[in-house]
Amino acid sequence: MRRRRWPGWLRWAAALAVLLGVAGALLPASAAAPAVVRQDGQDDQRVVRVGTEGTYPPFSFHESGSPEVTGYDIEVIKAVAEEAGWKLEFVETQWDAIFPALDAGRIDVIANQVSWNDERAAKYGLSDPYTYSEGVIVTRADEDDITTLADLKGRTTAQSSTSNWAQVARDAGAKVEAVEGFAQAAALLRQGRVDAILNDNIAALDYLANTGSKDVKIAGVAEGQATEQVLAFRQDDADLLAEANAALSALAADGTLSKISEKYFKADVSVEGGAADVDVSEARQRSSNWQVLKDEAWPMLEGVVRITLPLTAISFAVGLVLAVAVALARISRSRILSGLARGFISVIRGTPLLLQLFIVFFGLPELGIKLDSFVAAVLAFGLNVAGYAAEIVRSAILAVPKGQFEAAQTIGLDYAQTLRRIVFPQALRTAVPPLSNTLLSLLKDTSLVSVLLLTDVTRVAQVAAGRTNEFLLLYAFAGLYYWIICTLLSAAQQRLETRLDRYVAK
Amino acid sequence: MTGTTVADEIRVRGLTKSFGDSPVLRGVDLTAARGTSTVLLGPSGSGKTTLLRSLNVLERPDAGVVGIGDVEVDFATLPGGKAGLRDIARLRAQSGFVFQSHNLFPHKTVLENVVEGPVVAQRRPKDEAVADARVLLEQVGLADRADAHPFQLSGGQQQRVGIARALALRPEVVLFDEPTSALDPELVGEVLAVIRDLAEQGWTMVVVTHEIHFARKVADQVLFLDGGRIVEAGPPDQVLEAPRTERARQFLRRILDPG
Repeated sequence: MRRRRWPGWLRWAAALAVLLGVAGALLPASAAAPAVVRQDGQDDQRVVRVGTEGTYPPFSFHESGSPEVTGYDIEVIKAVAEEAGWKLEFVETQWDAIFPALDAGRIDVIANQVSWNDERAAKYGLSDPYTYSEGVIVTRADEDDITTLADLKGRTTAQSSTSNWAQVARDAGAKVEAVEGFAQAAALLRQGRVDAILNDNIAALDYLANTGSKDVKIAGVAEGQATEQVLAFRQDDADLLAEANAALSALAADGTLSKISEKYFKADVSVEGGAADVDVSEARQRSSNWQVLKDEAWPMLEGVVRITLPLTAISFAVGLVLAVAVALARISRSRILSGLARGFISVIRGTPLLLQLFIVFFGLPELGIKLDSFVAAVLAFGLNVAGYAAEIVRSAILAVPKGQFEAAQTIGLDYAQTLRRIVFPQALRTAVPPLSNTLLSLLKDTSLVSVLLLTDVTRVAQVAAGRTNEFLLLYAFAGLYYWIICTLLSAAQQRLETRLDRYVAK
Repeated sequence: MTGTTVADEIRVRGLTKSFGDSPVLRGVDLTAARGTSTVLLGPSGSGKTTLLRSLNVLERPDAGVVGIGDVEVDFATLPGGKAGLRDIARLRAQSGFVFQSHNLFPHKTVLENVVEGPVVAQRRPKDEAVADARVLLEQVGLADRADAHPFQLSGGQQQRVGIARALALRPEVVLFDEPTSALDPELVGEVLAVIRDLAEQGWTMVVVTHEIHFARKVADQVLFLDGGRIVEAGPPDQVLEAPRTERARQFLRRILDPG
């Protein structure tokens, strides 16, 4: 009796699928952004996901070595939540990804010094203001020519590209260099790469107090640019907005907002005109370089172990399985299959990885497909790997001598058996060096993943750099982690190559 | 040529095959009785290798009939899709094929090379296939190299493993495509000796070769191909000693006295 069995490769694929499923289920909950949790039941509190930078002191930042985000905006939203009966989850991401995350329903509110303006008011549900600040112009200490907005005409400023201040700078005739937060902007200013920064006076004062920098100064007031900062909701979330406004007015009435403000600024910025007296000189203490590294080494390693490594490994496995399928389609006699494979490869290789990540994470939800952050990252990176590796796999298959296919045919193996038992083991030898390149690239490409709200090692470094202004030190330290992993992978590649070479005549 | 009978192990009728615009086989007929050895001779480009590969459907003929044992396929009327592929697989299973350049699987040991077909394709019990393979390796003089990898063997040894791999399928017919052409001259003898043994044991074989002395000693019939047709056929002493066509005489003169 001959039983019909699954072809072996199918069993392999099934086993891999199961493995991926298990790995996904076992991932630490904090590794992935929370899935949509809506608990409107009477017993449960509503879970509200708060988007914030975590790199914008003193509004949203991490105390040295702390995994918990804190700051003025964080305390305000916590007070609002207590008043309104919400349960909060914080999702940290860079500024330019915050509004897309709100649009895509991955967060419910932004608490990050969102300035009120007409465009935002038209598109989002903006709360009543909880901060009043005035705009200032920051320049190098030796700069005498810029004191007013009019002086910015033809000069270059550094701003978050989608921020309110970027628009003010453009309106003043300045060229805007895009940055990821105030500390990075200040670094560009010190280095002479830009001429000025527009921001609110609180952020500027905090920077000066925190760094003790004598290189930059507040050169003047951005006249007519007093701004109001608000919480931003999706427009269709009217309930949340109403609850927030009710909570804010209650907190203003009972003095809670003033108390939070006094704690951070020694002034009450929650009322109009209060920002002029801000004093942040004692807000936070500076850390030595050594202390910064000591504080961040462990959180960064956590970023490696929780996100960077599993994301790389799973994406690569998924990518390889897809790559084999695409490569086989590409060399199949069917014009439709090979055409589809060509098209896929062309699109993946012809578009930037960052855009692919954005499309999967922020684009698919528009079509009603909302994936968990980690799953979305695996999908995007897996597809990207597949696009590149498919060509490697294809050429490796074609490099196996025709006689091997013929010999397999004459002993009665079918196509799947021939591929799995005869061709793939030999093709692997050719494919390992270029596939190793793909793997190393992937490992480093995962550093883009913070746009998907995942806290990988690079994101940890960004957060810490935002707080301490030690960009070079922290980024170099993050690079060290990548370099160590790459070195280990290269060593593994060497061993694998030696192993695969053992049956080949020298 | 006489008409085919059921007793004939190999039956080929009207086989044609073109590569693009150039015809390689222009209507080949051939029969071989069970237990006989057939040698195909001919200049390069005459179609002898294509004819041999057609018997195992490594080349797919354009038209004509190939029958081996109780399987017969008419390529002119072969159905497309799965049914056609199944017929081809059945015909292919009737013969074992020995390549000019052995085509052993480099990542498998000698024993694994030999049992791959029986175990994976024919689904025979592994221990039975292994026992069979050891007998075959003994027969080709390589019992002690069962665990070696192909790159560790000489060319002649590799080719003998190739022969054992073909025999392990228990085919009706064994096909040899210039089995000694890629070998160093001093290794040719050991391979020919194995093939001669097989003939004596009663295997049905078709051999493409330029080894005239081997053909003379071993062949029951010799076919001389030219331009995609069989132009001489008969017992070796007739075709080799007294060819009727000028083309065959010329070829034999050149091959016996290359200088």
